[in-house]
Amino acid sequence: MAAVTERSNFGKFAWPVMAWIVALIFFFPIFWLVFTSFKTDADAVKPEFLFRFTPTLENYTNMTQNYDYWRFATNSVITSTFATLFALFVGVPAAYAMAFNPSRHTKDILMWMLSTKMLPAAAVLYPMTFLTKNMLGIYDTHFLVILVLCLINLPIVIWMLFTYFKEIPKEIIEAGKMDGVSTWGEIKDILIPLAWGGIASTALLTFIFCWNEAYWTVRLTTIDAATLSTLIEGNRAPEGLFFGRLSAVSTAAIAPIVILGWFCQKQLVAGLTFGAVK
Amino acid sequence: MSKRTLPRILQTPAVILLLIWMLVPLSMTLYFSFIRYVLNSNIRPEWTSPSLSNWRGFGNYGYVLKAKDFLFAIQNSVLIVGSILIITVLLGLAIAVLINRNFPGRGIVRVLLISPFFVMPAVNAVLWINMILDPVLGLQGLAVGGINNLIDGLRDFPVLGAFFNLWPTLEPISFRASQTSAYAVIMMVAWQWTPFAVLIFMTSLQSEDESQKEAATLDGASPWSQFINLTVPHLARPIAIVVMIQSIFHLSLYAEIEIVSRGSGNKNLPYLIGEFANNNIGAASATGIFAVILANIIAIFLLRMVGKSLMD
Repeated sequence: MAAVTERSNFGKFAWPVMAWIVALIFFFPIFWLVFTSFKTDADAVKPEFLFRFTPTLENYTNMTQNYDYWRFATNSVITSTFATLFALFVGVPAAYAMAFNPSRHTKDILMWMLSTKMLPAAAVLYPMTFLTKNMLGIYDTHFLVILVLCLINLPIVIWMLFTYFKEIPKEIIEAGKMDGVSTWGEIKDILIPLAWGGIASTALLTFIFCWNEAYWTVRLTTIDAATLSTLIEGNRAPEGLFFGRLSAVSTAAIAPIVILGWFCQKQLVAGLTFGAVK
Repeated sequence: MSKRTLPRILQTPAVILLLIWMLVPLSMTLYFSFIRYVLNSNIRPEWTSPSLSNWRGFGNYGYVLKAKDFLFAIQNSVLIVGSILIITVLLGLAIAVLINRNFPGRGIVRVLLISPFFVMPAVNAVLWINMILDPVLGLQGLAVGGINNLIDGLRDFPVLGAFFNLWPTLEPISFRASQTSAYAVIMMVAWQWTPFAVLIFMTSLQSEDESQKEAATLDGASPWSQFINLTVPHLARPIAIVVMIQSIFHLSLYAEIEIVSRGSGNKNLPYLIGEFANNNIGAASATGIFAVILANIIAIFLLRMVGKSLMD
């Protein structure tokens, strides 16, 4: 850890204070969202109740009947989990092959994969709707959402995994080969334990991206497979109406992922380099 | 099985999946962009289903180029992505340097700082445009009202009052208006992605060679010159990566733009495509092809920048 040690007394005092101020400013909007969620809709827009008000849980107790929160939340959990697993299932072998048996084209393939993420989703939305609705009949199904979430994250997954795997000395994998270990054995018994931190961090980031995805999930679903993004986008109130209940459902929509992020932040920080650190 | 075949087989599923994901919709978009294709038309019902007999050549492209919002949308795309990149990289650097030291509560500061990155875009936009930026009911409106009241009160003072009489009454800014809605989007997305930049820069700062810095200190180099000559070059690659990943995500911004003002004033290319796609699929597809071209131009620069050092 290369943290700087301060020499002057002023520095000892000023740096932490500044860091705390910046952190509180950045966190403030989230705090305000949670804070507002305990006000009634009427109180939430009155300046005299800005800080002093009678806290109420009614926004949360009414959430199920106002918004049908649990169905959307369940869909988010199911689609994000399976999309992450599926992306790792396809991504780990691919990144393994690219990191340990690179060919002349490996770099180009990686770059091409990333470039697929730059395709503007809006440009292909109509064909996708047409295909899934009229031809394949999988519109608004979990299967479709999982597939799409997996595909849009696959390039990032492969790239992140590739950068971790490259840090693993080739000799370790080669030694396994000498001992006659099969490729599957190499991945399962040597690679995955060694790169566990990187894989976990990739899985976390993918899960976050899946949970927060707001283009495809909103536009390729209507009811059955709709996720929390759809719920929020569909129910955003006109100006000034229902601030209280809107805050509550928004808090409930981000709470699972924010709390997961807090608990796993060490893991995420350690792994989130995208190969930036040499 | 030869040494070379297996790796190829292992990466095949990923390559094939992405190839289908890219080629099928793209070729359909390309096809639609050359035909007349609308969803509803009472006068020309034959245009409502895709068919080669409705061939229009480059007509859709010409139509899009002449549409009044097209240049505006490209400008907005570039303005929004560019501003977000500049803000997040500069703020991210400053904050990463700020918290890259030991102090009480460092762990909590880090948790608070990265939290915005976990917030879903839809919630981000709803939260900022309503609860924070709304000119009447949001915190902005309340703050401006409060300051005005305060100044009003000060005007009654005997001597100082004359001075405060000169102060103008502040007007809250409506961020849903066409001139300002792009700034609202820039603000909220920069808030969300600065933590991402901080995370990457922080990890990179921790891998910096301390002995080099100590040597520089012994040679009498100032902290500022150390930062410019040692730290910034060390951060070149992380900066390139932050720029690339963010460009990928922000070129396709949609939810925030929809929620802030339904595209009035902050319409970017994806949003324009969405608007066309309400009826005119041909024009939407042609715009899509323009967007693909723009994305590719940007991609070539970015991927070159990062790709160069990827394989070492």
